[in-house]
Amino acid sequence: MSGNEAFELVTERGWTRGLGNMLRSGLARWFKTRSWWANCLIWGGMVLVIIGALAFNPQAPDVNELMMVTLVFTGLFPAVGVIILMQDAIVGEKREGTAAWVLSKPLTRPALILSKVIANSLGVLLTMVIVPCAIGFTIIAITHPAMLVPVGVLEAMGVIFINHLFFLSLTMMLGTFFDSRAPVVGIPLAILFLQQNLIGVLPALRFILPWSLIIPLGTTNPLTLTLLEGTAPQSEQLTILLIIVIESIFFTLMALWRFNRQEF
Amino acid sequence: MSLSDRYVIETHGLSKTYKEIQALSSLDLKVNHNSIFGFLGPNGAGKTTTIKLLLGLTRPTAGSATIFGMDSVSHSVEIRARIGYLPQEPHFYEYMTARETLRFTAQFFFKGPKKAIEQRVDEMLALVDLDDKADRPIKTFSGGERQRLGIAQAQVNYPDLLILDEPAASLDPLGRRDVLEVMSKLRKYATIFYSTHILDDVQRVSDTVVILNQGKLVAQGPIEELLAGSEGVIYIVHLKGDVDAALKILQSQPWVGAVKATQHNEGSVFQVSVTDPAAAEAQLLKLLVNGPVVVTDFHRKQYELEDVFMQVVEGGQNVGQ
Repeated sequence: MSGNEAFELVTERGWTRGLGNMLRSGLARWFKTRSWWANCLIWGGMVLVIIGALAFNPQAPDVNELMMVTLVFTGLFPAVGVIILMQDAIVGEKREGTAAWVLSKPLTRPALILSKVIANSLGVLLTMVIVPCAIGFTIIAITHPAMLVPVGVLEAMGVIFINHLFFLSLTMMLGTFFDSRAPVVGIPLAILFLQQNLIGVLPALRFILPWSLIIPLGTTNPLTLTLLEGTAPQSEQLTILLIIVIESIFFTLMALWRFNRQEF
Repeated sequence: MSLSDRYVIETHGLSKTYKEIQALSSLDLKVNHNSIFGFLGPNGAGKTTTIKLLLGLTRPTAGSATIFGMDSVSHSVEIRARIGYLPQEPHFYEYMTARETLRFTAQFFFKGPKKAIEQRVDEMLALVDLDDKADRPIKTFSGGERQRLGIAQAQVNYPDLLILDEPAASLDPLGRRDVLEVMSKLRKYATIFYSTHILDDVQRVSDTVVILNQGKLVAQGPIEELLAGSEGVIYIVHLKGDVDAALKILQSQPWVGAVKATQHNEGSVFQVSVTDPAAAEAQLLKLLVNGPVVVTDFHRKQYELEDVFMQVVEGGQNVGQ
């Protein structure tokens, strides 16, 4: 490459080659476009309107109910957004030819996949966890002072993020296996909305599905609510959390394995 | 210079099968340094498959390819660090502008300095006449503008090898001319390997040509060699007078392979195939002029690439291998 003497060349070797550049581009897609504020507006606005309307109503529900509604609007519905956003991350790039284009540059396939996971996780964390949770729990803190434990709020936000990470990595993995959008978006959506029924049929499934992190299962509080109330979580709740983290890692590893064998 | 240093690209029995379909069959290629290598073939001949195999976007079913002496599968990233590639239908991130796309591409190769990267981006934008559209989002670009941006991004790293898949396909005649000019200029610095079905372009700029058909190499060689034709050297002679006597004279010459005589207007036309072009050049015209005929036209048959292409693609002949 004569004529490049003025440049400091990228000399990185191994699987990380191109990761930094892809990551910058992935973050720019979130934070230098309208994507971040549009998502903040959707998810934060939804929480503001619903929780605000309930909390400032003269016949407001009790604090536990308010917290549950907040968890539904921060844990359940944004997961739909995660699935819809992520179905495009790999399938979209494969179908539009941009994956083949970037892979014709000195970029490794693991770097491409990991840049998608990291950039989208950060985007989801800010716009679908931090902003809506901050709005929802601030409203609750205003209307019911001293009912929320700040550390518990942060921990609950962490659990909500892990719930979203489960669907993010699952959708991403499916994107590496299929070339059509239908199964990539359909399977995670079916899992998201049918979790409760599946657990009803086969209770052992509660260990591998993230439902009980967010929504009560029978009379058992979800892990998020336990943390918000500042009580100690049960060992089963922590086991489920750990399994969901492991599953998310497994989905990411599967995506890496499959994408490495993909032909363009 | 060793053999592997001499060739930028070498393939040995490179093959690719998709399910039951043989897209590429045992391809043996050798591409010299600083050549403009035209890769021809009808649609579905295996041109894009070959390019994808060279770039590591697909894996060969059999055989191997080396680029800069490195294996295309195990050293794909190192190879791609020295390559510029223009896909057949360039697709970029629609949310980026042309400038951002070039900056993004440059950063796969260069860490900095920022000023030098920006200068290179400006240089590339000017090269393809996109400087006035540099900050417009790509989603507003026409097909031709995308193609020009594709050419710019392929060159942003001043590659040692430029692989262009149908670079002029969606350009107007002026755009095509500009692309060919850029390719000719780049020959000094890089090897250019490009696929096309525009035979005129190949004849104008390439020095070596390969013709693929149905996944198989059917012709390969320097362009002059291919244009000489597989039939050897043929002279076309228009003459009047005692044609039969002239025919006998020619047939008695040891360097004449065959003479095909046809009637044309008031005279005849001889197609004289010769086995010794030097002897023919020295004696053929002299023999006829001194003989019983009047020569009204005399020239060596010139092939157009299109003739060669049609011959090998339709006739299934192998040329120049």
